Amino acid sequence: MSWWRHPWVHRILSWVLGAIFLYAAVPKVLDPRPLVTIIWGYRLLPPGPVNLVAIYMPFLELLVGLGLLTGVLRRGAAFWAFFLLSVFELALLVNAVRGVNVACGCFSQSATDVHNAWLLVLRDLPMWLGAGVLLFFPPEPQRQGAR
Amino acid sequence: MRRVVWESAVVLFLMLVLGTASNLLPSRHLAWWGRGQEPPRAGQDFQLLDVDSAHALWESLPGTVFVDTRTQQEYAAGHVPQALRLELPSLDHMLDNATRQRLGGAAAVVIYGSSEETDIEQLLAQALRQRIPEMPLPYVLLGGFAHWQGAGFPTEQGP
Repeated sequence: MSWWRHPWVHRILSWVLGAIFLYAAVPKVLDPRPLVTIIWGYRLLPPGPVNLVAIYMPFLELLVGLGLLTGVLRRGAAFWAFFLLSVFELALLVNAVRGVNVACGCFSQSATDVHNAWLLVLRDLPMWLGAGVLLFFPPEPQRQGAR
Repeated sequence: MRRVVWESAVVLFLMLVLGTASNLLPSRHLAWWGRGQEPPRAGQDFQLLDVDSAHALWESLPGTVFVDTRTQQEYAAGHVPQALRLELPSLDHMLDNATRQRLGGAAAVVIYGSSEETDIEQLLAQALRQRIPEMPLPYVLLGGFAHWQGAGFPTEQGP
């Protein structure tokens, strides 16, 4: 069995990613208004949909976090974790290439909390890879009595 | 594969239900469709102010108006004396004529909140500037009420 298909690798990855998503989601769920400024700061979306993203994305993060932590709808949560992290990575990468440092909006709600975009890309990369393992390499069931 | 599709659809459905329901709450409501509003900018919509300078304004400049963005409970527990309480989501409802005149005729306006992050205060400053053009460029207090209280400056309690 490949190590990345081991059930315990999946459990630990799910718990770590779930906790991160939950931690990131709670302040945005409580008050999504600062998120509008942060999403606007990425300069990727036209003005109209910015609010829709700020309204719905925190709940997607919350459901992903709960799904990965509890195991309820874990495969669906893994899909959305990989999707969200791919979008985040792409958005950060575009701004890194542009030479624009952005407020990530990942764990802080402040639009003034600006970081180097390349560092943010690197920071999110392990999470993106972890979500990829959860989605594309489902755990193999352990055989009873296997030595 | 079918399980991934099915569970992803359930998560999407739950997100739509929760997001829609929560955005109907007045305390955290956002317009469904963005209006292309520029984010607030320092120097254009507000200026940042440290707590000692805010206190100096409060002491020495009559006509300085403090605006509190925190909840009713937080405000009642303690606020800068005579501060106005304004909430961004219900701003148009709270901005009656007396409040507009008070802000429009203020010598200086200082907006403060509860935390180190001042994004709500910056958004409120921008919204006030759009609604009351004669108001002076508002200050946003760095550190919020916690810094004011921590420095031992005067506060008052009550609604």
